[in-house]
Amino acid sequence: MSTSCGNPNAESDALMPRRRKFDRSKLCIKCKINQGNIVIRHAVYCKDCFLPMMYNKIKRTIEPTINPTPEGPRKKNLNPSGNLVIAFSGGLGSTVLLDVIYRGYFSSRRPRGETNTLSEGKDPKKERVWKEGKVCYVEVCGAFHGMRDRTDDVRRIVERYDDLEFVPLRIEDAFDESWWESVDLILSPCSRNGTPLSALCNYLSSLPAPTAIPSTLQTLTRLLLLHTALSTHSSHLALGTCLTSLSISLVSLVAQGGGFNLKEEVQEEWSPDSLSRSKGRSVRVVRPLKDIVMKECAMYAWWKGLEIVGQETWPGARQGISRITKDFIIGLEKDYPSTVSTIARTCAKLSPKDHAVGTCILCNRPAQPGVQEWKNRISIRSLSTDPPVSSEKASLAPYLCYACHTTLTSKSSK
Amino acid sequence: MSTISLKVEFGGGLELLFDNQRSHKLTLPARVPLDNSTSSPPSSPPSPQNNEYEGETKPVDVAYLVHWLRHHLLKERAELFMEGDTVRPGILVLINDTDWELEGEGEYVIKNGDEVVFIST
Repeated sequence: MSTSCGNPNAESDALMPRRRKFDRSKLCIKCKINQGNIVIRHAVYCKDCFLPMMYNKIKRTIEPTINPTPEGPRKKNLNPSGNLVIAFSGGLGSTVLLDVIYRGYFSSRRPRGETNTLSEGKDPKKERVWKEGKVCYVEVCGAFHGMRDRTDDVRRIVERYDDLEFVPLRIEDAFDESWWESVDLILSPCSRNGTPLSALCNYLSSLPAPTAIPSTLQTLTRLLLLHTALSTHSSHLALGTCLTSLSISLVSLVAQGGGFNLKEEVQEEWSPDSLSRSKGRSVRVVRPLKDIVMKECAMYAWWKGLEIVGQETWPGARQGISRITKDFIIGLEKDYPSTVSTIARTCAKLSPKDHAVGTCILCNRPAQPGVQEWKNRISIRSLSTDPPVSSEKASLAPYLCYACHTTLTSKSSK
Repeated sequence: MSTISLKVEFGGGLELLFDNQRSHKLTLPARVPLDNSTSSPPSSPPSPQNNEYEGETKPVDVAYLVHWLRHHLLKERAELFMEGDTVRPGILVLINDTDWELEGEGEYVIKNGDEVVFIST
């Protein structure tokens, strides 16, 4: 096969000049004095300008979400209706998030209601925004044989931050009736033998494809965090999803049938039921790092000397859609750094055609209509020409969103 | 000078691939094979006096360092460190606290006393 471009004027051995990774010069684009230390999407920043730039970007993302209702023309004081839960996975994003939130909204401010001196008065900018802050970690080692329990490592990191309470959970709590009672959720009694851990393992082993395991664990983790936030009177649940991770999760979500919930993947207002919603009991899920790429998080962590506990790789994760998507997007980001922001911006423009008809009983996100009808139309369910006989057996299927239905039923091709 | 001394550090979990050791002090030849080969050429081993290679050589650069680390220091899972001829996407490289994209990436010629950091994201 000829590799020539066909242009007779071109030298046959000519190499395309490498595209520059940064615009203009190596000087910082903000101060224009210092030599740059880092390139972020073709823009050069020195270390002294990078850190304030990052704090300001995060502040601009999180502060509009703090008050219960959006700000009008006049800027109001930051006054959330409840406390804050910071979800901590041990990964880069949540480590950075914890540090930034603590520095910006806890350590640098006095507790709410306290006045140090008469002259200081009650300047709201010097007061903590949230009265209480909790850091919640969900240990998933129970789902995989031989995986190391990292709760103590995470505890050691979180305890460095005074005034933030560490709340450790385990993924098998999702199958523990006593845990659900502790977060004030009353369940219908069910007879089940065995421990919550064995119930979790049975559930995971019954999933039809390897890709379903990380999706399921993500859903269970999310639900544990949401109910923890609600039971601790928290109005906000902050996740450490950076722009790179957000783009990966948006593409991965669409690939697994979750396109109806793209908006919720960025930010959502969650209530366990309509009664709670009517009483104003809800949790706002926010992603303060959603305009920060992974490279910025890594540089912040390095320059601040933050210890990253890390996340264990789930066995078999390499085969999953999430992992394949991650490898693809990180590879793309290396040569085309604007790609991840393009993905997030494009997904933000999308909205579903149909309105939600209730909430999925599994993931608690809005569910679209006609899931089963659609599945019946696009798949061959039987080779028989006789019409299918409707089953009398109770089924979860009518109460699931498309993504959860797919997770529970879609078999691997292998 | 026929050798270059430098410090290499690993962060973000990458140290797990290098014997769990975060910081390494290395000494590399000042001139290295053009093809980044990190083993002695069979026909002309490096002279013990000057530790130099004969044949086509270049000043030691970060590209060579990456290959050297892969062959001499990496204990496991090479695919998590290198992809093709360079570091795997998602690994950030700093040369003296500066993004390697500002220093010419793999073509940066290493000087005595330099510090190169590899951070996994």
